[in-house]
Amino acid sequence: MLRLNNISKYFTGVKALQNVTLHFEKGIIHALCGENGAGKSTLMNIIMGIHQPDEGIILWNEQPVEIRNVQTAHQMGISIVYQERSLVDSLSIAENIYPVQTPVVKVGLIDFQLLFRQAQQLLNELGLTNLSPMTLVKKLSTAQKQMIEIAKAIAKTPSLLILDEPTASLTHSETEILFRILKNLKEKGVGIIYISHRMSELQKISDIISVLKDGKFVATIDSKTPAQEIVRLMVGRDLESVKKSTNVQMEIKLEVENIQGKGFRNISFKLLKGEILGFAGLQGSGRSAMARSLFGDEKITGGKILKDGKVLHLNHPSEAIDHGIVYLPEDRKAEGLFLHLSISENIFSAQLKKGFYNAAIADDVTLKLCKLFSIRTTTVRQHLRKLSGGNQQKVMLAKWLAQEPEIIIVNEPTHGIDISSKEEIYQLLKYMTAEGKSILLISSELPELLFLSDRIAVMHEKEIIGILSREEATEERIAALASGINAH
Amino acid sequence: MQLKERLQDRVFSLAASILILCIIMTFIFPTQFPTVENFSQLLLNLSIDTIVAVGMMILLISGMFDLSVGSIVAFSGGLAGYLMYYHDVNFIIAILAGLSGSLLIGFVNGWLIAIAGINPMIQTLAMMGIVRGLALMLSGAGIQNFPYNFIYIGQSKLFGLQAPVWYMIFIVLLFSFLVNRTVFFRRYYFIGGNERAAKLSGIQVEKMKIAAFVLSASLAGIAGILLSSRLGAALATSGRGLELRVITAVILGGASLSGGFGKIFGALLGALFMALINNLLIIGRVSGYWQEIILGLVLIVAVGLDQWLIRKMEK
Amino acid sequence: MHKYILFVLSLFVLCCEPPPRYESSDYTTSLTKDKFVTSNEVSPTEEYVMITTAVNLPLYVSHDQKAFLQWGKKMGVRTSILGPSEWDVPGQIATIEQVIPGKPAGLLINGTDPGIASAIKKAVAAGIPTVVYDSEIPNSDRHSFIGSDWYEMGRLQGERMASLIGGKGKVACMGILGMENMEAGFKGLQEALKKFPSIEFIGKYDDKANVETAARLTADLLAAHPDLAGIAGFDSNSGPGMALAVKEANKKGKVKLTTVDAEPEHLQLVKEGVISYLVGQKRELFTWLGAQFLFDMRHNTLPLSANDARAGIVPIPRTVITGSIEIDLSNVDIFLQNAGKK
Repeated sequence: MLRLNNISKYFTGVKALQNVTLHFEKGIIHALCGENGAGKSTLMNIIMGIHQPDEGIILWNEQPVEIRNVQTAHQMGISIVYQERSLVDSLSIAENIYPVQTPVVKVGLIDFQLLFRQAQQLLNELGLTNLSPMTLVKKLSTAQKQMIEIAKAIAKTPSLLILDEPTASLTHSETEILFRILKNLKEKGVGIIYISHRMSELQKISDIISVLKDGKFVATIDSKTPAQEIVRLMVGRDLESVKKSTNVQMEIKLEVENIQGKGFRNISFKLLKGEILGFAGLQGSGRSAMARSLFGDEKITGGKILKDGKVLHLNHPSEAIDHGIVYLPEDRKAEGLFLHLSISENIFSAQLKKGFYNAAIADDVTLKLCKLFSIRTTTVRQHLRKLSGGNQQKVMLAKWLAQEPEIIIVNEPTHGIDISSKEEIYQLLKYMTAEGKSILLISSELPELLFLSDRIAVMHEKEIIGILSREEATEERIAALASGINAH
Repeated sequence: MQLKERLQDRVFSLAASILILCIIMTFIFPTQFPTVENFSQLLLNLSIDTIVAVGMMILLISGMFDLSVGSIVAFSGGLAGYLMYYHDVNFIIAILAGLSGSLLIGFVNGWLIAIAGINPMIQTLAMMGIVRGLALMLSGAGIQNFPYNFIYIGQSKLFGLQAPVWYMIFIVLLFSFLVNRTVFFRRYYFIGGNERAAKLSGIQVEKMKIAAFVLSASLAGIAGILLSSRLGAALATSGRGLELRVITAVILGGASLSGGFGKIFGALLGALFMALINNLLIIGRVSGYWQEIILGLVLIVAVGLDQWLIRKMEK
Repeated sequence: MHKYILFVLSLFVLCCEPPPRYESSDYTTSLTKDKFVTSNEVSPTEEYVMITTAVNLPLYVSHDQKAFLQWGKKMGVRTSILGPSEWDVPGQIATIEQVIPGKPAGLLINGTDPGIASAIKKAVAAGIPTVVYDSEIPNSDRHSFIGSDWYEMGRLQGERMASLIGGKGKVACMGILGMENMEAGFKGLQEALKKFPSIEFIGKYDDKANVETAARLTADLLAAHPDLAGIAGFDSNSGPGMALAVKEANKKGKVKLTTVDAEPEHLQLVKEGVISYLVGQKRELFTWLGAQFLFDMRHNTLPLSANDARAGIVPIPRTVITGSIEIDLSNVDIFLQNAGKK
């Protein structure tokens, strides 16, 4: 259906894409993978008409076409679900789903009845029966918003649908719904391009997988190919896995007694020195809310937090930082990064206590940290927006490590990050525990939790429903607990 | 720095445009433009705007702005004048009263915006009206005949330049240093870029915001004292429209309404650029009808050109 | 570092040139220098500059500026009109100061605010013939003032108001608060009303020279004081605003209105009987005669000595009050005919 023949694209001398030839067919779920910077985004931008290829031909149903802009792409029947949100918070679900093809009555007024009926029908088809089309988008959870994003793309009845990391903010059960929808579409003959970093997903949903590396096409393989092999193709080398090891010391670093606050209650646990305590749970189970309160961003309304045996009263993150507690937020762009500032300024953002700012010293320190954390950049004055997601996340980690913290709370540290950066972050976290730092790891990726954690606390409905030791923890067990089925 | 980066730096591109503008004007008006008299006049007239613009720049860096500065200019001069003229208060105390009054206004603005969560636009718009009313009450039809010591502050000269110009230079240099080099002022770049991330990095965002409004109001207060000293009169109508002129200058100087960008020198150059255009209009005898139109076009062209250059460079 | 700062500070103190301590009185100091620039030839490039604030105000455009431009055409000289487009007194001062270095043949300055005195002083010190029009600027050393007496305009309104309401009832007034000329007008009005003990003056209100504000204020006043007898207006937009609100409240004729200015709009309202009395300024005379004074001063039209400029004599009238135009139903038609012609 869509054929890209020998596509090349250059950005100021850099070859973003070189001679890429890819064919996408009707009724096939075609996964696209590669590390960040492999050229996936550029390729998508070319398909959507945002960029024009410098060389090569695009064929749509055997006819050569020129996709000049997004409107052309939409008219041809291509639609895309981006990682970034495109929803308007203050409007209803229905209005968000039909921003352009809003049904109107004769004089041009919006026909709300029809609009809501259409939207309801679509939501039903997608199995989102619990949502009303009249609900305002701002009332939805992140995951629900993502589903609406997908609904919006499907509402255009595309013949080719592109999904860019669609499950990044979805929970297990929602991912299942999405897969069902995709299979449905596939049966109707819709072509699907599926971009993801999650290997297990790729193998589960896709029919064939194409791998890109450094702007070049590597191979198109069957989705039954073993994951190790796919990773090898993407990275170009075998990944050295960190051994399952533990750095736990028998010294209680942090003790939480029965704390409660907005979005969580009855939370008690102990965190040992050098321990990684994982937190599993569904979206909205209270993990992030609890983490924010431990960092002083929200107040606790009851219970006690003890660090090294002393009670802490935290009113502001700055106080938590003073006590050696740092927090790596979940939504990097919204809560963590200063995209308009340089790497060194980002790293020093947590050290603005007093005195003079010396750019030369900051750059010097940053350069060392960049080497230590293998942050790939030409200069420490580089603006953060120009770095890849993995490098951005490493900058965040470096920023907090430069503070010499004792307790590090990390929330979804590998969200939307390419596979080799992921490995590096795992190594860094391990390295920190070896240094005697303790880590609270909140993650929705079970393999990650199982791989890194010494113990795993599972949250359900604002409470800790169980804490599993490394031996007890399995994917099934965690999933069961997280969805409220007490397996004990 | 490479030429490419230089061109993206608004301070540099604005300085270059100012230089080009000066050269063109020297050729068109060789007898009127490049004279010491004209330049000392030009600098004197832009000094008040620039002092206010420095405070506004800091606010815009942190992603906010203050519409009440024009009224504060009238208020601080009015309060000092009122105390000196009607109550024979010593000029130093009168000045301190004017400044602390402005500081208080800034604090109220900051508190209501940062703690009570009122939108800055609405809060400072309301404050603009309130303070203008206070200024009217204080200075009525205008207060004149100030003590000599008060006049001295704004009318003495050094190397042919009147005092407000030197105050302006001092304030610009001081804040340029502070903003570049102190951790305290650097925080505003973080707050402006990503408020949430700034809080999670341990920055006391609310307190910083209050400090910014206090600072900007105090600078407006200083400008008000200087203006009334230099005019020898406290006018209730002074500073009308100043806020928009200053915001325009600051944006020309490289600030962004969404925050996170800007340099103090940009504020000076922005004000200088506007003053030059104004000087050009006066020397060129351009009628009043055209002034606003030309200033508006200049703003669009300057900012538009900048965006275009950046986009071209990035390609 | 400290030494350096100390050095700079002492530099400031030592090199500072203080402002003149007393009002300049150097007319007597020397007789060797001309006090203002004169010329015997009329050149078509000689330029007379009018500087006002709110340069686009219709009242200014259709009266002051129109007469000034006509005068320039008749005399064959260049005329320029400058100033900020908003009501911005420091802006007007900045304009005056930036015009002075260009040494125009004469300056005609709208006396908007006493604060412009120091700028006018600078122009006079630079030897430029300078006339202030409309409102007097005290302590400005201007060569001549031509304008109306606002106190008189207030007094005239007060006396007429008293007779219109039969010497008793509540009276309010509105205009731009804080402007020297308006405040003089308010004073004239209040003093005229004081002679009638049964008249209660309820206050002055700021309509910010805006029709909508004036209308809203009037409506509020009518609501708060149902027995209001009359309102006096002091800026160009007070009258139309007051009239609008009175018409809307169906109180035409019941509440007496007096105001300043005689624009076609005002005249029509007198004709309709909504406004009872107008007191107008002879604005055309300000600028026509003012410009003529400047011309005569520059060209020694009527010399009083061998060299007036050196003798320190100003060979033109120092103060001219042009008087007021009084309009009511009895003579409004004659004004309306003239307005129609325009």
